[in-house]
Amino acid sequence: MVRDKSHMEQVERWANFIRANPEKWKKQHKEFIDAQIIMSRRFYDRLSKTKDGKKKIILLRNKQIQL
Amino acid sequence: MKREVSDKTILDEFVEDFVKVVERHCNYIVVSGFVAIVHGRSRGTEDVDMIIEKLSLKDFDKLHVNLLKNGFECMQSVDSKVIYDYLINATSVRYVRDGEFLPEMEIKFAKDELDYYQLATKVKLPLSGLDIWFSSIEMNIAFKEEYLKSDKDLEDARHLRIIYKDKFSEEEINKIKKDINRVRMNGKR
Repeated sequence: MVRDKSHMEQVERWANFIRANPEKWKKQHKEFIDAQIIMSRRFYDRLSKTKDGKKKIILLRNKQIQL
Repeated sequence: MKREVSDKTILDEFVEDFVKVVERHCNYIVVSGFVAIVHGRSRGTEDVDMIIEKLSLKDFDKLHVNLLKNGFECMQSVDSKVIYDYLINATSVRYVRDGEFLPEMEIKFAKDELDYYQLATKVKLPLSGLDIWFSSIEMNIAFKEEYLKSDKDLEDARHLRIIYKDKFSEEEINKIKKDINRVRMNGKR
């Protein structure tokens, strides 16, 4: 999907919110950043419990090394 | 924009723990996406980019062993000689916490005058809330606008320009952009 100008507008809106609200942005930001890592770890935990899940994880790790 | 311990993200804690080991061995800087994210940019990332000064194999081995002792593993190999071959050939290597996929620290050796300039002009950024060395805001903006140029990078640069409005040097950004063209792009813009 091509990123239209609304993406940059949202980037600017959020950056201005940070400047204007130094005590409010951190909680939202922490939850957002942590959620991505937590969700990913949960997925790999579920994957490891499936048939061939551990083999798939090894393949994914090897692919990650090649990137 | 003071940040308390509880404000720290999983990424922040990973970087701080990693840096505590690295700083005992060599000069380092954290660069690129994490610089934007630690200043509030709302996007995902799997890796944090770190440039370290070029080390001898013996000194790198000491760093690697210390990282292993502190609960990190290298995804390329456990053998420091193998890892060193990656680094010395200008290929990055990735460390994660033992048994985890992410986040990961992507390390490379400084490879040219631009990297050594980044190391020489490293800064602490109090707004980040972290006591670690970063490449300068001007350096990050210049690289993202002039060299990397993806949508994500241009958005990172825009974010940093707003956060540091009136606090960075446009002249320094332009100087770095010229250096990027000369050193990394052979004058091809």
